[in-house]
Formats: sequence, C-alpha cells, structure tokens
Amino acid sequence: MPKQDPSIHLPLKTNWFHILLCLADQEQHGYGIMQEVLERTNDKVRLWPATLYGTLKRLIEEGLIEESDERPAAQLDDARRRYYRMTKFGRRVLDAESERLQELVRILQVKRGAEAF
Amino acid sequence: MNPFVRISLATYRRLAYAYPQEFQMVYGTDVIRLGEDAIEEIWRRYGFIGLLRLIADLAIRVPLAHLAELRQDIGYALRTLIKSPGLALAGIVSLGLGIGVSTTAFSELRALIFKEMPAAQDPKALVAIESPVSYPYFEHFRDQRQLFAGATAYMAMVPFSIALEGAVNAKSERIFGHLVSTEYFQVLGVNPARGRLLSPEDDKPGGPPVAVVSDRFWRTRMEADPRAVGRTVKINGQAVTVVGVGPKDFLGVWPIMPADIFVPLTVRERLAPELADGILQQRDARSFRALLRLAPGVTMANAEAALETMTRNLDRETFNAEYAEKNRAGHSVRLLPGGVVMPMKREDLPMMLGFSGLLMGLILLIACTNLANMLLARAANRRKEIAIRLAVGASRFRLVRQLLTESLIIAAAGGAAGLLLTYWLTNAASSMKLPVELPFQFDIRPDGSVLIFTILLSAIVGVAFGLAPALAATRADVAPSLKDGAGSQQLRAYRKFGMRNLLVVWQVAGSLMLLLVTGFVVLGFSKSTTINLGLDTKPLYLMGLDPVRDGYSPDQAAALFEKLPDRLRSLSALRGAALSDSPPFNNINSSNMQIVGIGDGQESSTMLKGSTRQSVGTGYFAALGIGVLRGREFNEHDIQTNVRMTPGSPAKAMSMIVNQTAARDLFRSGDALGRRVTAKDQSYEIVGIVRDMQASLFTNAVAPAIYVPLTRRSLARPSTSGITLLVNAAAGPDAVDAVRREIASIDPNLNLFRVRSMNDQIAETVSYLRIAVSIYAAMGIFALVLASVGLAGVTAYSVAQRRKEIGIRMALGAKKSQVLGLVLREGSALVAVGTVLGFAGAFAISRVLSSMLNQLAEAMNTNVGNVALIVGAPILLAALAMLACYFPARRSTKIDPLQALREE
Repeated sequence: MPKQDPSIHLPLKTNWFHILLCLADQEQHGYGIMQEVLERTNDKVRLWPATLYGTLKRLIEEGLIEESDERPAAQLDDARRRYYRMTKFGRRVLDAESERLQELVRILQVKRGAEAF
Repeated sequence: MNPFVRISLATYRRLAYAYPQEFQMVYGTDVIRLGEDAIEEIWRRYGFIGLLRLIADLAIRVPLAHLAELRQDIGYALRTLIKSPGLALAGIVSLGLGIGVSTTAFSELRALIFKEMPAAQDPKALVAIESPVSYPYFEHFRDQRQLFAGATAYMAMVPFSIALEGAVNAKSERIFGHLVSTEYFQVLGVNPARGRLLSPEDDKPGGPPVAVVSDRFWRTRMEADPRAVGRTVKINGQAVTVVGVGPKDFLGVWPIMPADIFVPLTVRERLAPELADGILQQRDARSFRALLRLAPGVTMANAEAALETMTRNLDRETFNAEYAEKNRAGHSVRLLPGGVVMPMKREDLPMMLGFSGLLMGLILLIACTNLANMLLARAANRRKEIAIRLAVGASRFRLVRQLLTESLIIAAAGGAAGLLLTYWLTNAASSMKLPVELPFQFDIRPDGSVLIFTILLSAIVGVAFGLAPALAATRADVAPSLKDGAGSQQLRAYRKFGMRNLLVVWQVAGSLMLLLVTGFVVLGFSKSTTINLGLDTKPLYLMGLDPVRDGYSPDQAAALFEKLPDRLRSLSALRGAALSDSPPFNNINSSNMQIVGIGDGQESSTMLKGSTRQSVGTGYFAALGIGVLRGREFNEHDIQTNVRMTPGSPAKAMSMIVNQTAARDLFRSGDALGRRVTAKDQSYEIVGIVRDMQASLFTNAVAPAIYVPLTRRSLARPSTSGITLLVNAAAGPDAVDAVRREIASIDPNLNLFRVRSMNDQIAETVSYLRIAVSIYAAMGIFALVLASVGLAGVTAYSVAQRRKEIGIRMALGAKKSQVLGLVLREGSALVAVGTVLGFAGAFAISRVLSSMLNQLAEAMNTNVGNVALIVGAPILLAALAMLACYFPARRSTKIDPLQALREE
C-alpha cells in the first residue's frame, strides 16, 4: 500500500466517520457497529445493513479498515461474524478529520468569544 | 413472528441474492444475518416504516454495487486495451473507416433519391404519371375529385428566348421553363415570394399573356429588381407581363431539370411552338406530364389502378379497338412519387441501392472481419489469464462480462470514429465542387437510419465475436491452460482450420472481391474517358440555333435553315457546315427499332437492338470529316420530301443513311444500298452507308445507327436543344466568329447558344465519368487499406504469439530462414485459399451487376479479362499479407531464444 495523503478523504463522509469512530478503540463486527452508532447518536443515526456493508467494502478498498483475523476472547466471540479493525492509514484519516473538526470548533469559539465582549 | 416481519425478511433475503457475485461471496451472508438480527428490533422501534426502510436501503444498494462493478470492468478493459494498443487500434480504425465510408456513401445516395422538392407543401402526397399523357386525358383525370385533391399538367424543359424590356443588354437569352396548367402552383402548395402565382383567370383567351419567374431568375437576370412584378419581358419575341416571383429554391416540379419561368399552357403558339396544331385538343398527343395530389386516404396503388381503368376506357373512345389494343399492349399507367427531386421508377430503386449496397456491404464486412479477427486473437492470448482468474474463484459470468465489455468498448470507439468520419466526409462531399451545377442545394447529411444500422452492426459484431471466444475461454478446463500457457493453445489452434484461419481467408477473399469489382468498374469507366471517336474532332464546333424562339414563324424558320448551310459553306474559314436535330454522339437513349426490310421481293422484319436515330441535314458527314463510305449524302430534294401526312397511310419514300452495323443487321449478306425499308409506317430508301462510329460518348460500343433527313417539319419545330449547327473550321476559333458574323448579317436577333468545340463537349462528358471513376477508385483504396490493416493486425499478432515456439525452434538449431519460411508458408496457404474464393466471388458479383446495369455490364465485360488487374490485385494483397507475416516473424527470430522462453 503506497503512502497516501489522508486529506483526500476529507471532509469525511458521515457514515465513514461513524464507522471509523466505532473502530477507533476496538475491533468490531457489523452488528456491533450498527448498535454502537445507534447508541452513540441516541437512535438518530442508523446504518442500515446494506449501507453498512457497502460502506465497509468501500473503506476496505480505500485501505482505511481491514478484516481482522484476531478473534476476541472466546466467551465474547461470535464465530459467525466477521470482525473489522482500523488500518494505520485509517487512523491517520480519522485523526485528520478530528483535527479539522476541532479547528472548526475553535473558530466558532473564537467568534463566540468575540461576541461576548 | 409477525407476518409483516416475515414477509419483509423474505423480501430482504431475496433482494440480497441479487448482489453481484463477488460482493455476495464476501458480504452476502453478513448482510442477510445483520438483517435477520436487527429486523425484530426495527419492527418494535419504527414499525412498518422501519421495515420499508430496511428493504429500500437494500434495493438502492444492490444496483449501486452492480454499477461499481461495471465501472471496474470498464477501467480494467481500458487498461488492458492500452497495454496492447496496436490491435485495439486496428479494430477501431477498420471499424471507423468501414462505418464512415459506407454510411457516407449510402447517405449520399439516399439524399439524392429521397430528397423532397423544396417549397412544396406535403410533397409525399404528390404523384406523377410516369409517361406523358395527352391534355384531354389529363382533364379527365383532373376531374376525379374523389381520387385527386388537385392535378396539373405541364411541359418540362421548354426553351424560351427571353429579353428583358429596358434592360441594358436587350439581347435575348435562352432559358428553360415549364408550360403549365394554371393549377400548377396551387397543386404544389407553393406560395409566391412576390406578386401572385398563376390563377384560372390567366387561362382566359385574349387576355394579356403572363408569366411567373423563379427566384433564381429574379436574382440573376432581373438583378433582384423590387419592381419586377408588372414588368414586361419579351418571350420568343412576344411581350409577356411578369405577375409574380416564385419562392426561394423553387425551380419547378422536377428540379433535376430546372425551370426558371412558368408560362400558362393557354398562351398562343407563337409564344410556345410546342403548343402548335391545337395540341391541347389532341387526344393522342401524349406531350404532357401530369402531377397529381392524392386525395386523403387514397393510396398510390388505388390511384394507379383507377388511372389504368380510365386510360383504357379513354383509349377505346379515342382509337379504333384494334389500334387501341395494339397501342396499349404491354403498357399500363404507372405512378412515381411526384414530390421528390429525382422521381424514380420503383423497379430502379433496388438496382440503384443494390450496387452501392453490395460494395458498402463488402466494406463493412471486411471491417467487421478485422474486428472479429482482433477479438479472437485477443481471447486466445488470454486463456491463461482467464484460467487463473477462474481458478481463484472468479465467476464465469463475470469474466464473460469483462471480455464483452472490452469488445463493446472497441466497437463503441469504432462507432464513434465512424460517426466523426461520416460527419467529416459528408461535409466534405457537400462542399465539394462538382463540375456540373446542380439546380438545387445538394446538402448531404448523415442518414440517421443508415448510421444506426452500421453502428448496430458493429455492436453486434462486437458482442458476437467477443462472446464466442469469451465463452470458449471460460469453458476451458483450467488445468491444461495453466500448465501449458497461452502459447501451446495457440500452436495447436493455428494448424486447425479454425475460426481465425477462416476469418483470414474471408478477409483476403472479401478484399480481393472489392478490389476486383471496383477495379473492373474503374478500368471500364476510365477507358470511356479516353474517347477515340475515330475522327478528327479538333476542327469541329457545335452551336445551337432556335429561330422559332427568336420570333420566327415556322415557315420563316424553315426558309432560314434552307439557305443557312450554303451561306456558311461559302465562308472561306469553314471546310463544312451542316444541321442536325441533336449534337453528334449524343444518343444516350437508344431504343430497339422494328424495321422491315424489303429486298428481292420478300419482306423480312428485323429488330435493330439499341439502335440510335438522328435527323441530319445536307453535307453532315462531310462536315464531320468522314464522308459516306458508299452511296451519297442527303441532298436538297431529300430534305424537302414531305413526311406522311396522315397516320397509317404511307407516303413517298424518304431517304435514309445507315451505318455499317445497321446495314449488316438488316441485310445480312446482301448489299443494303438502294434497298427499301419501312419503319413506323414510313418507307425509306437507303441511299448511303457510313462508317461505324461509337453511339455516344458514354460507351465504346458501336450500335446500329440510322440517319434520316432533317425535314422542314423538324426544322420548324426543333427539340429542346434546338437545331445543332455543326461546322468544320479550318481556322480554329476564328471560324466561330466568322459564323457569328454571318448569322448576325442574316438577322442580328438570331440567338446563337451553347457554342462549344467538339473537344469541349467531350471534356464535359468525360468529367461526369471522372467523378464516377474517382469514387470507385476511392472505394478500392479503402478496401486495400482495410485489408492491409486487418491482415497486418492478425498475422502480426499470431506470429507474435508464436514467439515461444520460434524460440524453441531456434534453440534447437533452426535457422532463421527456416523459421521465416515456416511462418510465410502457413500465411501463404491462407492467402491462396482466400484468393481463389475472392476470384469466384468477384466474378459472381460482376455477373449479377452486369445483369442489373447496362453501363456496368459494358465496363465489366471489357475488363473481366484484364490481365493487369486480375494478376495485379491478388499479388498486391498477397504481398501485403506476406509483409505483415514477415516483419513480426523476423523480429521474433532476432530475439534471444532464452528470453522468449522465459517470457512465459
């Protein structure tokens, strides 16, 4: 995989962002991702199955995530399920996106601050 | 489980199976499982809407996945095509050329045949009666209101001598117009640009004569005079008022023979000698063309049948029964489309389209063969790649689709190239300057239906020849392909009489056919362009005279012509001068003439096939410079002999001169001189025999020719081309001036038109032939280009495929010459078979074409035995094929055998 510039994926598509966010700290399977996104957004964002797998496929093609061959602890493992994890490039993209968002938030705060005066 | 949930889940599963196979292999079960896991919860949370969204999500994603895969296919196909650009280019170039050339040629032809008359309304409802009718018959037809919404009779190509009153150069000019019944413009639905068109009022006898002029006449002759309407012009010496100007581009019913002035049929005969002898009342004077507008709902076939019945009834009334039967035998009324620029007989259409269709079809076939060859070659080369992909689990469908995508891309690129070429060629053709001025705007546009046909054809070829090898390749047992690689498959296939070899053979055969057929035609026509009349044409000059149009009465005209030749012969600049009813070598239309010869007391009837007939004055053959072989020329007495006065009653015998062929045909062994013959109820005595000359400038053939005296009657009423004055000038062009002066001294108002030398006349005729020759030559060259592209592409490719074999042979000690010999030997076997088939095809085609077109028949027959062509064409093709084999073969022998082997 050649070194790629993370910024080509910015701003990150919403679905991509949510999936990367789910995989930021752990490996996860499709159902898990769907549940986590649902919980995190208070049921506002649901990744419907076909959309979810379509997006996962795209993310794999773009080298942002990959299928995991490590399985979690036996009692937690659902053998039927395929697990996904973030690649190094995926992490760089996620970082770049969060920096971009932070920057936007910072600008907003500065503006708000200016208003306060 | 809730029934809604159950049904939704079933739908969901079914939809999930519609994913493209690759996606399904990886994610199919996951997508289904996720749906199964989540569906209960979705139902609880969102109810019915949730189920709908679940399914809608899938329904949108499935086609998107397919599209993504298609995009991949196209990308992959483009990359592989770019990797071997030579072959792809060969396919695209040949397809583009084939489509471009054939579409252009066909569009051109259709533009000519189906072009509708400008300015007319609803030209599709207009029909024309094929042969002329008499005016009383026409009046009868016109009154059939239930059949015809309108009808008009006209005489076309009527010459008028026109002088504009008050114009600077008041000298009259000779232009062509139509004598029309006053319904003419109304039937056509033409509106005037200025003034008015003709109306029934204009038919009233005694009123001032009126005329309508064309837009072209108004612009070029009247300098677009805004007060043109109401102006008086002198037509044939008579004052006529211009009442209107026709619409732009309108040049009458038959724009091929354009009309610049429209004069009512009811004018006095001094204005139009064509109308003399009360021709409008004569029921047997078939001198008028009838144009009819079909009433709504009436078909051409209905009208034709009705006209036929009417004509039979009228014939019965007009003639006695026996004469009517004899007269009508084999005749029937036939209608032609009337609203087109070039009315054509229905039976002529397939012939017109057939010949070019055949050539175009050959070109297209060769182009498609090129493409097919290329696709087959590619597929064979990729067996190994396909085997690998099959082995690692790619679906057969996917692979076939991949290969199909590639062939369709080539077909599409070829189609696009063809489209561009068509547009370019048609543009070029439209702006090409023709040596003859066409009376109408002849703009060729690519013909939509032809274009669609050719592009569809290329798509079909792309699919068919992409599919066959794709299926074959993917059916292949994976193991041997993987083990042996592409090379060995190639090796085995090469020796078999396989699809590819068949195609190479066809390619050679098809190209040779095209080359030979176009070659025959080109040679035939170019032989005609080197005209050798067998006489000295240099001192000959031709000019037209038509004193009747210059205001002469028929008697005055006849008197003028009686003294004119003698006066001209007295000029020292001339060696001879003579009159005739048509220019020499102008008999384009020949006919079969029934002639009864009377000799030794017994009659024998002979049909003179394709004979020509010309009326000539005294001293004609002397003026031509050939004289008569035996007997004598016509004298004053012959000219003054009266023709038969009433039909059916033979009068005094007239004199006749025949050429050697006619003499031989009529009186096989005996001497023709002094014999009596009868033609069309008129008896003649043969007084002279002249040398054979070719019948017209268009053919080299000699036909039987008969010459009859140019009588007072024909002098008084000349044909559309007037009376031709032939002079043999000793002093070159100066002599023409002498003739002009002499004629001006007789009457300064006499209009001398179309003054040209015989050589000019020949050059003009030849220029038509030159166009034909260059078109066919161009097609021959296209055939050659296509054939070389195809042959080079395929042979080069198959030789390149054998690099491994060549490498092994070289490694085992084969000499370069042996390897080259091997490759060339196999190539030449294919070329030889193709050549034989090509010859057979070419001769078959030339037979078929000869039976369709006389002109072609002559060209073909005289050249089927042409050694240069018959030997040259195949040698040229074979040489090309051999070159195409040789170069890649030599390159293969140059490489290191080890390297060739390692490549696998």
